[in-house]
Amino acid sequence: MASQDITKNIFTVTSAPLWHCGKTLQSNMIQTLLALLPVAVMAGYKYGFAAVSVMAWAALTAVITEALVQKLMGQEPSADDFSALVDGLLFAFLLPATAPAWMVVVGSAAMVILGRMVFGGYGGSPLCAPAVGWGILAISWPDFMDLNGMLLNWDLIEPLSELKYFGLDAIAGVTPVSLLLGENLGDLGASQAGLVLVAGLFLMARGIVRWFIPVSFLAGVLVTGLVYNLIDPQAYASPVFHLLSGSTLLAAFFLMPYPSSSPAWRLPMLLFGFFGGAMVIIIRTYGIYPDGACFAVLLANLCTPLFDLIQPKPFGGR
Amino acid sequence: MMKLRLNTSVEIKGSLQDVPAPAAVRIPIQKKHKPVVKKKQIVGRGQVIAENPSKGAFNLGFVHASIDGMVEDILPDAILIGPIPAPKEGEEAAVPARPEPCADLDTLSGEELCRKLLELGVDTSRMHATRTLVVNGLNPEPGVIVSEQLLKDAQATLKAGIQLIEKALKPGTIKLVVASGKQITVHGCTPVNASDAYPATIDALVVYAATGAERPDNVDVISVAELYSVGRVAETKLPLTETVVAIGEKVFRVPVGMKVQALLDAVGVPYGTDLKIALGGPMRGEAIFDLSVGVPKGCTAVTLVPEGLYPMVQPNPCINCGECVLVCPARIQPGMLSRFAEFNMFENARSQHVGACLECGMCTFVCPAQRPVMQYLLLAKGQLATQDDMVSTCRLQD
Repeated sequence: MASQDITKNIFTVTSAPLWHCGKTLQSNMIQTLLALLPVAVMAGYKYGFAAVSVMAWAALTAVITEALVQKLMGQEPSADDFSALVDGLLFAFLLPATAPAWMVVVGSAAMVILGRMVFGGYGGSPLCAPAVGWGILAISWPDFMDLNGMLLNWDLIEPLSELKYFGLDAIAGVTPVSLLLGENLGDLGASQAGLVLVAGLFLMARGIVRWFIPVSFLAGVLVTGLVYNLIDPQAYASPVFHLLSGSTLLAAFFLMPYPSSSPAWRLPMLLFGFFGGAMVIIIRTYGIYPDGACFAVLLANLCTPLFDLIQPKPFGGR
Repeated sequence: MMKLRLNTSVEIKGSLQDVPAPAAVRIPIQKKHKPVVKKKQIVGRGQVIAENPSKGAFNLGFVHASIDGMVEDILPDAILIGPIPAPKEGEEAAVPARPEPCADLDTLSGEELCRKLLELGVDTSRMHATRTLVVNGLNPEPGVIVSEQLLKDAQATLKAGIQLIEKALKPGTIKLVVASGKQITVHGCTPVNASDAYPATIDALVVYAATGAERPDNVDVISVAELYSVGRVAETKLPLTETVVAIGEKVFRVPVGMKVQALLDAVGVPYGTDLKIALGGPMRGEAIFDLSVGVPKGCTAVTLVPEGLYPMVQPNPCINCGECVLVCPARIQPGMLSRFAEFNMFENARSQHVGACLECGMCTFVCPAQRPVMQYLLLAKGQLATQDDMVSTCRLQD
């Protein structure tokens, strides 16, 4: 090619398209952190230093564990996409504020290793990582995860435990507004129902969380709760109580739509959400744990491959 | 970063402009083309420089010189034409021979006319006789305003194109698809309104909007820019040596093979290596590394995108978020297919319908992991096509 004059200016080439919508994993995670910030602040305000320490241990352990395992696996470090930080924080939101530091560290490390890294990292896991971490702790150390027992310092009630052990009369004084404002005991972050709802709506408005799963999940909770409530209003709590108590809202907006463990098509997403919502009520009604939201999420995750079998015909397919 | 609009329909303000004829061109040719000129030969504008040796009426068009000049070099992918050197002492200046207007065009019809069109440089490979014809009047991509500009400024030429096509193909009905809310028609066409939001402007989806069928067998689709080139041939009776190119908000008639650098200079668009420059629109355009590339026939735009304005494509792992599935107009799972391609599992990609891909690029556009999703899909499609070719060759040898 000596005969051609070699141009001095070489331009960067790229595969089409040249445009990108601008939403990257990193920017999504930063916005998720932004949405979770008020919840974290509120938790710190309500439960004091104990809550801050739990959140800090969980988030720190998640990030460090991920970095160490990535080093072992020979992967590029990816702490700068903040996904481990978000998972650690979500995991902390599911714990009692007085959880011992060693348990938080063990749980957070187990969450990252078993919920993420054994499947190749963020986005490869068939289960929602924070729910996996919660599940491990809830089964291994039920006493330390028991909200009622762990939060004796506060002279308030934990609605779901009250409902479980003392029946519907015990929660007669719990109004939806008090649940929204987080005036009862509960998981460190998940019980700040109003702020979690705001965070979820913010992410939905930004297009980071699609509406399909949260809406169908909440519909599943409401419909199933309503069915039980209609069967016997004296024995079963109202659907709105279930909607606002425990970690239902956190599950709806953050755990159920966890990217890799939820289906991708529209109809499967709706079914998946509804199934998860129904399972919340069923586990709360018949299970031995007061709050079944995380188990419902894990069960729905296990059914994701089945839901994903419902596929539309490709364009022009016969 | 500005908010990107994927709607393609715009208010057309300017008008179709010409660019001054360049002194040198680099006319791209395809593998099929056989050059019929020699180095140092003097050629006139419109003279055939490369032929398509196949005989049928529906195939790739011939290539013609788009300026008067001298053939400087013949490369596998392009023919370079430069200025005619000044005559030596005592010699007469070489006179380039331009072809006469082709009078046959009025008398021929049917396949003979198609063959003539092919010889005049029109690509007839996607045309068939007696089918429904859909004219895609939507701007092909956001920011590529060619179609609506031509519908506004070149009604007479488009009409001539339609008349010629009616004679050549005898289509059943002709439908013109335009953006909802636009009241434009072309002579002889039934207007149909459709969404103008990319990727709805892709041919297959336009056909669906016009006929209600997905990939029907009896429908041909032609873009307004292609119709315009047929119309130019019909009007001038001369070979096709120009293409209509949108640059920014202006639309130009550009000689085929004009170098991108010369074109940008001529229209006064600043450029530098801090830009990515592509032939075609922002969604499907092919980025070029060198501005001496000639504008190919059928090119509709030159797109300039500042580097670093958008997140770069990176070889990240898929995070299964499903964004690509939600935007895919072909209703396939680009994320999953891209992973099949990534790990050489091309047969799995085939069974998961990679063939339905419309190559719109939306999957890459939305991918938060910044994966080159469409590129992986193209790789899978290419590999499968190569495999199929090899299999059929083996069968023939048996």
